[in-house]
Amino acid sequence: MISLTLIWKNSLRKKMRFTLTLLSVLVAFFLFTTLAGIDHALTASIDNSNRFRLMTSHKISLTRSMPVNYGQKIAQLPGVEKVAYATWFGGFFQNEQHQLAVTAVSAENYFSLFPEFQIDNKSLKDWQNNRIGLVVGQTIADKYQWQVGDRIPLKSSIWMNKQGSFTWDFVLEAIYQGREEATDTGKVFFHHEYFDRARAYSRNTAGWFSTQVSPLANVDRVSQDIDQLFANDVEATRTTTEQVFVKEQAQQFVDMAKIIKWVLAAVFFTLMLIVCNTMILALRERLNEIAMMKALGFSSFELSEQIFIESLFLLALGAMAGTLLAKACLVQVKGSLAEFLPGIGIQPEHYLIVVLLVVCCAVFCSLAPAYSIKKLIISDTLGARA
Amino acid sequence: MSNAIELSGISKIYHKGSQQVIVHQDFNMKIASGEFIALMGPSGLGKSTLLHLMGGLDRATHGTITIAGERIDSLSESRLSQWRAQNIGFIFQSHHLLPVLTAAANVELPLALTSLNKKQRQQHVAATLALVNMSERAGHLPKELSGGQEQRIAIARALVSDPKILLCDEPTGNLDRKTADEILSLLAQLNKDFGKTIVMVTHDLKAADYATRVINLEHLIADNRAKEPQA
Repeated sequence: MISLTLIWKNSLRKKMRFTLTLLSVLVAFFLFTTLAGIDHALTASIDNSNRFRLMTSHKISLTRSMPVNYGQKIAQLPGVEKVAYATWFGGFFQNEQHQLAVTAVSAENYFSLFPEFQIDNKSLKDWQNNRIGLVVGQTIADKYQWQVGDRIPLKSSIWMNKQGSFTWDFVLEAIYQGREEATDTGKVFFHHEYFDRARAYSRNTAGWFSTQVSPLANVDRVSQDIDQLFANDVEATRTTTEQVFVKEQAQQFVDMAKIIKWVLAAVFFTLMLIVCNTMILALRERLNEIAMMKALGFSSFELSEQIFIESLFLLALGAMAGTLLAKACLVQVKGSLAEFLPGIGIQPEHYLIVVLLVVCCAVFCSLAPAYSIKKLIISDTLGARA
Repeated sequence: MSNAIELSGISKIYHKGSQQVIVHQDFNMKIASGEFIALMGPSGLGKSTLLHLMGGLDRATHGTITIAGERIDSLSESRLSQWRAQNIGFIFQSHHLLPVLTAAANVELPLALTSLNKKQRQQHVAATLALVNMSERAGHLPKELSGGQEQRIAIARALVSDPKILLCDEPTGNLDRKTADEILSLLAQLNKDFGKTIVMVTHDLKAADYATRVINLEHLIADNRAKEPQA
């Protein structure tokens, strides 16, 4: 076994080259871990969605409404446990810089369909009893320093009320927590009944229906039954599982993630070429020393091991620095992006992938030098023939 | 006296493109244990090639090489590496010290292949550095040493694992007369006091004075050919 002192000193022999290569490794792993953290946030909402919940929207477009009494009809179908309804409000606080995910929901049963939004019973009752009551997630409450009892005016970019204003008055009655870390706590809910009575147009309609299907029922069958029920109505429906719905909504982001992943693959490929080139250069500069060590009795395997550990050291140092930097950056942006990407952050499995990548890259980068060492003829390198 | 080195029927042929370069053909040589041989002769005759064959740094095209009773021409590459580490010390014209390591660390390098612990290795290094009068330079990097001092460190590195045979390829080729004499005296002392078998390739007639036997390769090749059976 060659001493670690020699490996350490050889690594730092060309300090400028070492630093530049280290920086390229750092950037590659910074990009990888940052993207992995964002990708986790994008896919977490899909994974967390309930496969026994169905989403029914207008067949033509999500922006078109359906009669609110569709809910009663859906509730009578076999296999259906509960039905809630909701309409997108499209609100913001004070100005359009402070966009919020505001939804009008059926107050009587909405939160029983979505147990991942956790509210204590008293707060839930208080909200249900206050027509202009508002429920917000902990992230939003923290961001705007809102407390229960605060009067909060929200503006809508879609809905005008009967007074001809786009500003709607609310009172904060409850703050919900997420059941899991990845649960979205950046949402805002209020009474659909209040919304329906106060809005200037499209009364008695809802944007979509959420249906809780019995675990014993066939989800696909219930989904088909719902659409069949309204197939001949003017407002025909399209029903999917919540997982499919969320996946479709997130598709544009996921596709973007795919593009970034390809770019990242190119970055890693380039990185491997850079590190590989660095190791080949290092070997070429030390060819006489390698030949001398072979003459002393070091085997090709032991000398290749030295190159592997040098690559591993360089990659591990860069990966560690890049990952720590990414972690620090994600912690910083978590606060501002939490409402849109609640699960953002580096997960334990990402660290494992980083370790695997480091080892695989080190093996790959050592292959060409190892081959050169194996083929090196000591007598040719150390002294002339004859 | 037993043979330390025996080359029998050695041929060494290189290929340069489609051309064959025959360096040695059916060459024989014996060196007894404890001899200090000066291997001399004109350039291009294959002196260094012979030295590399004796040390297992290169392989013969034909023939057998027996060193200290062991056939080395049939050993695998890994076994040959082990054998070199245990039996042979090399001293080259250029010292080939690792520039990032101190003199002591350079000398310690071959001991990394042994089972000695750190303390034992340090004891061996200290004793070997004392033998070549370089104890005071133990902590110096090669760039801080003179040419003669670097060659002494290279000799210490060759000696530290206590090999039976020292193979020296023009060990004083880069040194001035005075330093060369110091190095040659040291080699003669190693031969006389410690019984090391030394084979030294040299062009320096004065260097040959330190050897116990001089082999002129040109004459030896002629003798070999004279003994070949006539076709």
